[in-house]
Amino acid sequence: MHDHVSRFRDACYVLAVVRTPAYPAVYVRGTAARRLFPEVSVIRHDVIVLGAGLAGMRAAIEAKRRGVDVAVISKLHPTRSHSGAAEGGINAALGNATEDSSDSHAFDTIKGSDYLGDQDAIEVFAREAPNDIYELEHMGAVFTRAADGKLAQRPFGAAGAPRTVYSADITGHVLIHVLYEQLIKHDVKVYEEFFATQVVVDEGRCAGVIAWDTKSGGLHAIEANHVILATGGVGRMYYGTTNAFACTGDGMSLAWRAGVPLKDMEFLQFHPTTLKSNGVLITEGCRGEGGYLRNKDGDRFMVGDAPNAMELASRDVVSRAEWKEIADGRGVDGCVMLDLTHLGWKKIKSRLPGSRELAIDYAGVDPIETPIPVRPGAHYMMGGVDCDLWGETMVPGLWAAGEVACVSIHGANRLGGNSLMETIVFGRRAGQAAAERVLEQGDTGARIEPGVLADEDRRIAGILNNDQGERPGALREELAKTMYDKAGVFRTEEALAECQATVHDLRERAQTLRLDDHGSVFNTDLTNALELLSLLECADCLVTSALARKESRGAHSRLDHTERDDETWLKHTLNWCDDGEVRLDYRPVTITKHQPLARSY
Amino acid sequence: MQERYAYYPGCLASLSQKELDSSTRAIAQKLDIELVEMPSVTCCGAGDIHEAKPDYYLHISARILGQAEQMGCETILSICNVCTLNLRQANKALQEDAALLNRINDNLKEVGAATYQGGVDIRHLLWEVSEGNGYEAFKSIAVKSLEGLKVAPFYGCQILRPSKILGFENPDNPQSLERLIEACGAEPIDYPAKVKCCGFPIVLAREDVALGELVQPLEQAVEAGADVIVTPCPLCHLSLDAWQRKAADFAGKEFGIPILHLAQLLGAAAGIEESEFKFKRHVTRLSPEVKAKLQVPSAIGTEA
Amino acid sequence: MTEIKNAHLTTLKGAYDTELMEATLRIRRWDPDTQRARFDTFTVTVPVTASVLDALDAIKDTHDGTLAYRKSCRMAVCGSCGMRIDGGAALACKTPMKKFVDAGHTITVSPMGNLPVIKDLVVDMAPFWEKIRAVKPYLDTKDEEVPDTEWRVAPEHGDMIHKESLCILCGCCVSECNSMESDPDFLGPAALAKAYRFVGDTRDTDTRERLRDLNGAHGIWDCTRCYFCNQRCPKGVDPRDAIAKLGAESFKEGFVRDEGARHAKVFVDSTFKGGYLRETELVPKTIGPVNAVKDIPFALQLARAGKVPNPLSPHKAKDNDEVKRLWKLLEKEAKGAERPRAQHPDAVREG
Repeated sequence: MHDHVSRFRDACYVLAVVRTPAYPAVYVRGTAARRLFPEVSVIRHDVIVLGAGLAGMRAAIEAKRRGVDVAVISKLHPTRSHSGAAEGGINAALGNATEDSSDSHAFDTIKGSDYLGDQDAIEVFAREAPNDIYELEHMGAVFTRAADGKLAQRPFGAAGAPRTVYSADITGHVLIHVLYEQLIKHDVKVYEEFFATQVVVDEGRCAGVIAWDTKSGGLHAIEANHVILATGGVGRMYYGTTNAFACTGDGMSLAWRAGVPLKDMEFLQFHPTTLKSNGVLITEGCRGEGGYLRNKDGDRFMVGDAPNAMELASRDVVSRAEWKEIADGRGVDGCVMLDLTHLGWKKIKSRLPGSRELAIDYAGVDPIETPIPVRPGAHYMMGGVDCDLWGETMVPGLWAAGEVACVSIHGANRLGGNSLMETIVFGRRAGQAAAERVLEQGDTGARIEPGVLADEDRRIAGILNNDQGERPGALREELAKTMYDKAGVFRTEEALAECQATVHDLRERAQTLRLDDHGSVFNTDLTNALELLSLLECADCLVTSALARKESRGAHSRLDHTERDDETWLKHTLNWCDDGEVRLDYRPVTITKHQPLARSY
Repeated sequence: MQERYAYYPGCLASLSQKELDSSTRAIAQKLDIELVEMPSVTCCGAGDIHEAKPDYYLHISARILGQAEQMGCETILSICNVCTLNLRQANKALQEDAALLNRINDNLKEVGAATYQGGVDIRHLLWEVSEGNGYEAFKSIAVKSLEGLKVAPFYGCQILRPSKILGFENPDNPQSLERLIEACGAEPIDYPAKVKCCGFPIVLAREDVALGELVQPLEQAVEAGADVIVTPCPLCHLSLDAWQRKAADFAGKEFGIPILHLAQLLGAAAGIEESEFKFKRHVTRLSPEVKAKLQVPSAIGTEA
Repeated sequence: MTEIKNAHLTTLKGAYDTELMEATLRIRRWDPDTQRARFDTFTVTVPVTASVLDALDAIKDTHDGTLAYRKSCRMAVCGSCGMRIDGGAALACKTPMKKFVDAGHTITVSPMGNLPVIKDLVVDMAPFWEKIRAVKPYLDTKDEEVPDTEWRVAPEHGDMIHKESLCILCGCCVSECNSMESDPDFLGPAALAKAYRFVGDTRDTDTRERLRDLNGAHGIWDCTRCYFCNQRCPKGVDPRDAIAKLGAESFKEGFVRDEGARHAKVFVDSTFKGGYLRETELVPKTIGPVNAVKDIPFALQLARAGKVPNPLSPHKAKDNDEVKRLWKLLEKEAKGAERPRAQHPDAVREG
């Protein structure tokens, strides 16, 4: 067997030498003089949406409805996007279960953010959420219903009322499919399995995107005055993560290199209930439905850190409590136990069937009979591309929405159920604003110059053809373990400094990645390498920001600076790209009604 | 295997495939099993009633199951894949939903029919004789060795899939027919299409689509050198046997492979009377050579 | 540097502790450049909890980076990693390796069927998406006034499309669809399950048009009931059952002209006319008397073999009056029943 493998490897190297690595670099706009390959047709759109998860599809649908020419570019088919994995639900103060208000939703979100969220943004968010939910329902979303036929709402962590609209425990799945249906209904053009390698800025204005066609090979320049980034999160920089393989921070990296700062990158949420084997998330809905967390002695340890909210305290609080239990030796095989057995089979089968299936498939336990071993795992990037209330960045025409963006709604800690709502509210807003700008302004004249494409072509060819150095997978694993060990739930100066040094070393080593596959058709060796580069840039921003922030706030918990320090640190971190290096800068938080208070649950 | 079954031969074995009924009864006699007649039953619906009138399908199924229950039989013996799936599927729905069963029983009562309490199981003949004491019993009556006979097992769909309703064996790698073929002293022939569809359910409505499916097992079994194909399903039998001519025209090649009912193969090994086989009722005739390998005297009823 | 309290908390000791095993996989490769297939066998070291997808990742990272397959969520919800494992389509991420390792079995991994292969385990899903698009896969409330809040849907009505809305469009059902092998234009189990998701949605008012289209060529009556789709579906959608529900809805709406529908009708009628199937009626009533005449040589062949029961003395089961009464009772019940509809909130407020 091993002989065969090594023989095959040899054969591979031979192939690499004889195969012609050249792929067609494709230029898809313009005049004959600019066209590198004359046989290629012209492609140009008013608006390009990068990424086809909930935020991206919602943005594209909105722009299309407003009559502009919009196309979606995504490295995955839209329904493969990670929004589909969201389980628990989506928050809006409908007041269907008990009385509720947008103000209450806003306050819970501000408090949950540990006062780092911008309050003007949060107010817009909470106010517009209900109508966006109704619209999803009108589009056909299959939500769970209450007996009166209205949308059912369940309690979620740190929320003052049952505010979470849901579809059993497959809410994200239901929403990703309903938006894909609308994408078909509105006949939006989708460049499926196209991997964006560069956002092009021409004289300070957004000019479009250069993207690799994974299915057929080839680099395309696709021009648009407006590009909406909706590429999602970056959880894959951590070893234990709930995120899909695709969550590699591509959009953050694209924006950063295009000159837009990344904001609040040190705030990475750990979800309290993830499986050890592969990081898969077990929804907060399990605790919303009454599940308990127990240590190895069977005690409900949340009584220590959150005696009132118990298991339904904010995610950062629960994650820290669990981490302490495990690190202090009160865990079971590196986990604590999520106990649902007292809920009964009927409730588990009707309200939490997806979680049950995941526990059976990936933890080998049926939660009807046995508690599920869980631990905290990297889940959600509160930070991201700095943008305004409509999603626009400092580069005119470049917008961002969803997890890739940092508006900022979530501040230092996100509440469960708010991320799905954010994708819809701010996806719609970005689509609307970009379309209005197109209709008002017309062509800004920004173009992708042939030289820019040629340079990118050389860069990608360099990666594609390289057969020296280390494999992308090896570096990815080293990064992921380093981040999980040294920039995890609890942080110190010492650990973060070590982490930063390793990340810098990895960035250096990643300059030469050894690819086995030098072909042009469905070369996932190439896309893996490109994703690693994105992860490393985002990791550098995260660890640099975290090292600098000498306080504990929300998800950023420093053992050497255990208190929140509003005097010095009630401000947003900005990570600029300074010739490939991270440069830090800060900006005040917008406070409207709610002065920071101590946060307890 | 049990000593006593409610016997549900189904439409085909009762009418156009009477050779299956007679062979089954002969085998049951050899095995010393009592087959209790069910004189008042209807068709199981064959999937068609399930598709056209699902509520009616559940009612007639409950009536069939209820009759078995009232006859004091725990198990219905089926000799048809389609009956097996349809009755088991209805049974599962009725057993899992008390409110549904109550409503159906109320209706059955109203028309004076037998009601059902949920205590009956449906088993196919194949399952009963391919494992456990049934298998031992069969081996003890398999007195003739069908040595030299190459038999291609064709399972048909609805005895394998969906396994959450059928669940007797691995639907992708079933072995029960192979085990029985070997117990008969014959040689099982392996080929990929043995678990695929014969096309019968749509052979009237979508003949071309059905024939495209049907040619696969015929072609593969012949190429693999089989003398005969054996199947536990009378619908598959009808498709493979009676539609074989059309499949040959469709594929542009001759197959000429005889199709046996499972009960006929078992019967041959058990040495039951040739008259019970009613081979005259097959459209694709058995050659004297095949009959010889089946140890059936070729002097009588040779059509070669 | 001052001593930090609880400094041990930064790192979870033993976070990566896991038992390992050696897994062997035989993989069908397809080289898009040479258009040639071959099989490669690899042995990799993976955690005992590894899925087939994890094993493929280990191969790609450490043995052969040219191996191509799709993946994303690794938790059976994105639908990317459908492939054949020992010939049967499944999600690689939902298939644990351990049971194979324990059995000493080398699995064979190959691309899904009924779709063209691009490279190794990657198939071209374009024909699949085309069929999804063909069933008008979005809610249509036509001229209904859009409410200012949500449509009111009774929980039990929402449940009618619960199974179909679980579909992740992975294509595992399509991979082994026997009808599609024979008729590549058959809409197939995934698209039809999607179609029922709207036919069964009480908010959708395009029901009749949808059913009319689905009763056409390559529609619901192409299904050969091989049940591979139900067997393969990793999410419990049971597409074949959805197709049966579309048939039932078609009957309710009076779409009974297709040969498939007429075939089903003969079965229904037989039960209360005699008990067992009236086979002699099956052919002329399914394909029509004219086509039946064309098939006379074939019919004679069947008659010679005794396969055509005497039409003059059809089978008559004992106590068949019960069934007749049952049929009448249910038809009366069904006649009174209206198609369940979502309610406009204004109507609820007024009512």
